[in-house]
Amino acid sequence: MTTTKHPILVVDDESEILFSLRGLLRQEFELHTAESGVEAINIMRRNAIHVLMTDQRMPQMTGVELLQQAREICPEAVRIVFTGYADLKAVIDAINQGRIYRYLTKPWEPDELVAALRQGCDEYDRVTQRRHLLLDLRDYLNRCRKLSGDDVLQFTGNDLLERIEYVLAADVGRGGLGES
Amino acid sequence: MQVLIADDDPVSRRLLQSYLQKWGYEVSAAQNGAEAWRLFQGATFAIVITDWMMPDVDGLELIRRIRGIHRPGYVHATLLTARSQKEDLVEGMEAGADDFLTKPFDRDELRVRLRAAERLVNLEQSLAEQNRILRETQAALVQTEKLASLGQLAAGIAHEINNPIAYVTNNLVVIRRDTQAALAALDAHRRGDSAEAARLEQEADIGYFRENFARTCDKTLEGLHRVRDIVRNLRDFARLDEAEFKEADLNDAIRSTIEIVQHQIKAKSIRLESESNPLPPVLCHPGKINQVFLNLLMNAIQACTRGGVVATRTRAEPGEGIVIEVQDNGCGISPAHRSRLFEPFFTTKPVGQGTGLGLSVSFGIVRDHGGAIEVDSEVGSGSTFRVRLPLKPPTK
Ligand SMILES: Nc1ncnc2c1ncn2[C@@H]1O[C@H](COP(=O)(O)OP(=O)(O)OP(=O)(O)O)[C@@H](O)[C@H]1O
Ligand SMILES: [Mg+2]
Repeated sequence: MTTTKHPILVVDDESEILFSLRGLLRQEFELHTAESGVEAINIMRRNAIHVLMTDQRMPQMTGVELLQQAREICPEAVRIVFTGYADLKAVIDAINQGRIYRYLTKPWEPDELVAALRQGCDEYDRVTQRRHLLLDLRDYLNRCRKLSGDDVLQFTGNDLLERIEYVLAADVGRGGLGES
Repeated sequence: MQVLIADDDPVSRRLLQSYLQKWGYEVSAAQNGAEAWRLFQGATFAIVITDWMMPDVDGLELIRRIRGIHRPGYVHATLLTARSQKEDLVEGMEAGADDFLTKPFDRDELRVRLRAAERLVNLEQSLAEQNRILRETQAALVQTEKLASLGQLAAGIAHEINNPIAYVTNNLVVIRRDTQAALAALDAHRRGDSAEAARLEQEADIGYFRENFARTCDKTLEGLHRVRDIVRNLRDFARLDEAEFKEADLNDAIRSTIEIVQHQIKAKSIRLESESNPLPPVLCHPGKINQVFLNLLMNAIQACTRGGVVATRTRAEPGEGIVIEVQDNGCGISPAHRSRLFEPFFTTKPVGQGTGLGLSVSFGIVRDHGGAIEVDSEVGSGSTFRVRLPLKPPTK
């Protein structure tokens, strides 16, 4: 974990919920809140967000819809949705399609919610580190290929580069980090 | 089929009895009206054939008595008579006779008349049976509708209750955590360890706690009140156990029903305009009237597109009763559908969304209250459903 607080964004159409979560999360996280999908997207355009957590049932834009749009704007953010049991189906579908990191049910247990956010932040760190490692490795391989005329190196280098690209792309789908 | 014969003339009585037995009827024979009446009370007869002229209790009197008591199933009565004047026939029919046979009777004619009587009795029986089935079906329909609308509502209400429960629980956890931190800082102060106290205050962000403590408590209380109100509304709305008619202010009934559909309204971002004018108390079955509002409101909400407008209005109609309107600016109803709205199971909604019972059940409820439902609608611009109710249901 980094020493600075992780920036997270919590979205719910009810201000009472946001106020309540601010009380819970303010000490551990750099907390942003939004009362609608549109507001959330504006915040993501202006700020780096590591974990995005949204309510599913909101007028205008549902949580899953917001997370889908968020994926375009800020693919590196880990995506979490919280939801009442009634909406579970839509959310589970979204998870199975690999677009969401995890879900929480509403009403949530405060301890579980904090634990889920911590996990989300860890996931962000892990994927970020991996990404940096992979990017470094890619640079390194490219430089090697330029320097050397060796056929074997050319060949294995190409193979490795392809796999690196593949892993980088796959991370986007998991709600982790990807190409930006 | 059981037949009762009453004739004081032994020859004609025995003749009748033997014919009927030969044709397969179960026959009881009485020598006079009084005996016939005794027999009739002791068993179930579908057909009665009685002589007119008998001492004491004559045929007319016997038929009058038979018509006077209430028994399930129709009794077909034939008068045997030597008289055939028009006045006599009228007198016999007024007493309740279904048919006449002049004496001396013809065997074939008797047979045909009996068959007709049998047909009538059978018809009546199957009608009564169908009536019973219909009534049972209707009761089942009302029950199904209640369940259907409850199921639809349950999800919405669960959501309404889950939100306050979520933040009330969360607030309490926050209050406990922050209060403990504040007390720890206080202890440090008391020990005179102000460096540790400052560290603790900093770590727990006590400044925020100080500023927001009262608000957190207020919000928590508000949340609990919200749950209390939802539960109270549900109870007001359902009134399921109230079987009897009661005087009710239907403005209250509308208010609690609107609360019940609040979630559906919010979910579709619908603007609700509610105009309630003072109403005199209405003697009604409040739970059932609520069900009518609920159906009309749900239909109005479902007819609207996102951001539509639903308006409810109540007013007293002096000398007549009260009027409740539910108006929407939704899709409207085509003339072809207009006449079928109140048919059970008529629905234009996809399977799973509409059972087509809402309006037919509502229609039955309003009719039982002596009222009526009127509909104005135009395709593309919306519909108005108007319920008129008298202050008292008609006495039956
Ligand atoms: N306000 C309205 N605007 C447009 N159409 C309506 C309106 N109210 C009723 N209808 C039409 O009448 C049909 C029958 O209504 P009804 O309430 O009886 O059943 P339903 O709404 O389809 O199903 P259910 O009420 O059982 O869920 C509806 O399917 C719809 O086509
Ligand atoms: Mg309906």
